Amino acid sequence: MIDVNKIVSSLERNYILKLLKEGKRIDGRDLFEFREIKIKTNFSPKAEGSADVFLGDTRVMCGVKYDIGKPYSDNPDQGVITVMSEYVPIASPMFESGPPREDSIQLARVVDRGIRHTNCIDKKELCIEPFKAVYILFVDCYMMDYFGNLTDTAAIAAIAALLSAKIPGAKWDSEKGEAVWDGTIKPLTIHEIPLSITFGRVGDVIFVDPYLPEELIMDGSIAFAVDEKKQITSIQKYGNATWTVEEIMEISQKAIEIADDLRAKMNLRRFCPN
Amino acid sequence: MPVLVPEPHDPICFRKDGKRLDGREVDEPRPFSCEVGVIKNAQGSAVVRHGGNLIYVAVYGPREVHPRHLAKPDRGILRVYYRMSTFSVHDRKSPAPNRRDNEISKVIREAIEPVLFLEAYPDSQIEVFIQIMAADGGTRCASTTAASLALADAGIPMRSMIVGIAAGKAQDKVILDLGDKEDKVGQADVPAVVVMKDKTISLLQFDGEMSIEEMKLGFKYILKGAEVIYQKQLEALKGKYEAIQMQAKKESEEYQKTLPKLPQEKPLPPSDTVVSKKTEEIKVNKDEKVQKPKKEPKKETKKGPKKPTKKDVKKETKKETKKKTEEKAQKANETIQNAPKKDSEKGGKTK
Repeated sequence: MIDVNKIVSSLERNYILKLLKEGKRIDGRDLFEFREIKIKTNFSPKAEGSADVFLGDTRVMCGVKYDIGKPYSDNPDQGVITVMSEYVPIASPMFESGPPREDSIQLARVVDRGIRHTNCIDKKELCIEPFKAVYILFVDCYMMDYFGNLTDTAAIAAIAALLSAKIPGAKWDSEKGEAVWDGTIKPLTIHEIPLSITFGRVGDVIFVDPYLPEELIMDGSIAFAVDEKKQITSIQKYGNATWTVEEIMEISQKAIEIADDLRAKMNLRRFCPN
Repeated sequence: MPVLVPEPHDPICFRKDGKRLDGREVDEPRPFSCEVGVIKNAQGSAVVRHGGNLIYVAVYGPREVHPRHLAKPDRGILRVYYRMSTFSVHDRKSPAPNRRDNEISKVIREAIEPVLFLEAYPDSQIEVFIQIMAADGGTRCASTTAASLALADAGIPMRSMIVGIAAGKAQDKVILDLGDKEDKVGQADVPAVVVMKDKTISLLQFDGEMSIEEMKLGFKYILKGAEVIYQKQLEALKGKYEAIQMQAKKESEEYQKTLPKLPQEKPLPPSDTVVSKKTEEIKVNKDEKVQKPKKEPKKETKKGPKKPTKKDVKKETKKETKKKTEEKAQKANETIQNAPKKDSEKGGKTK
């Protein structure tokens, strides 16, 4: 495995630190300002739903596929949602092909929790016949260009792809003993739109949506998933930095504000078919 | 368990009016569009939309080889990774590369290698990453077309651009550029990659039943279709630089506007006179220069071997003068030789 980590020169590092201490960013943003978001859905005709999301220059392409399978024995009346992320080597000279890395698995699980724990999709609606057949939804995110903050971009891509998805309806055929198509194709019911907001930290300075050079020099970061009811539904701390309780409470409040603002700006519901 | 809605598997590939299901003629390629420089982190990148195929390619390198033992001391190595996204096909594909992915990576690598100058990159590697975002038949061909664009975009020297396109046979008719259904239910499939400079084939696979005559027709279609796609490749590559040119022009115009306007009022009288004198002098010199060449050819045509009368010639070194005199002598000889020939010819004719 290659260990090609992009090295930030000490000059650039000092410059970024100096700017952050003055409350400025290397790309001219405010400390709590997101980059521009561009979303395009249904780029892939073979996927049930798909979304191509740009956060500044960071790009994630996400597709939704479905399958019919047996439910887990502890939740016999619930469908399954699986989020996967691929750090494809297209995206950056730092990524290499091969089995998924730790980061990639962590990202997928963070996005997954954001979706599952917000009641974004009611998993009981994904059940066709208890104990026999349920829908399995695969939400696969491909990192296509890496310029920092993949988590938030992937979260937007995943929810946009789910919103744009159309899944064939199913009924249980007891004679055949399997699920069959009922002739309809309908969109998924999305109850909540979760968003992920990531804060980075260098020394005492906290900022939102880290840009690549900031991400490479930062001590650590923390990602919040926020639902539409202004609740925090999941938190993941990355990196070596430590946070005080006051800081965490303060930025949770900030995350809710930023998420509300983003949700209004993006208007993700417009990607719903019909 | 299978997915709810299976893919259609009827063998019909033609409409009643004799055209193909998507309205194409037998020798017509699918709509094709491409763009370069789409992935900012990569040295070179391209996206290709060929029919329903959507393919992204990024090129990284030449860079260090890892693991080291793969490096070759006398030449660079090319590594191609063909990967399909899970949602690019009807039934979800497992994310791990399978045997098909590895085989296609290999044939694409061998299609590209002949046009690269790998001997120029000892101990290093060029990596081509191909990601299929939507598959619709003929992905290996479209991938090669895209890889060629991305390599050109990365500025890696190539002998020629390469274009991939397939021919095949469905319902006993030879067809160009098979779609997904034609590929699956058709009788034969001949994916090929054409090296555009000398029209040689650098990738060739075949699968099905076809007579030699049909193969011949297939190759005719392939070369015709490749030319269409090649022109679009060139447009995309030029387009990128034209866009940069336009941008630069726009920026320079905007910059010119921001500059403080220089005062264009009458300058002070003494400086004015000096400037005017200088310009007059320059004009005079220019006139002389213009006159010189006019005179010289006349002299040459009239008198040939005579020395040019200008004093500048004296400054020349002896060697140069020698050479000049030799040349003049030769010219003179030629004129002499020519003259008698003409006479003899004339004489011959008269005789």
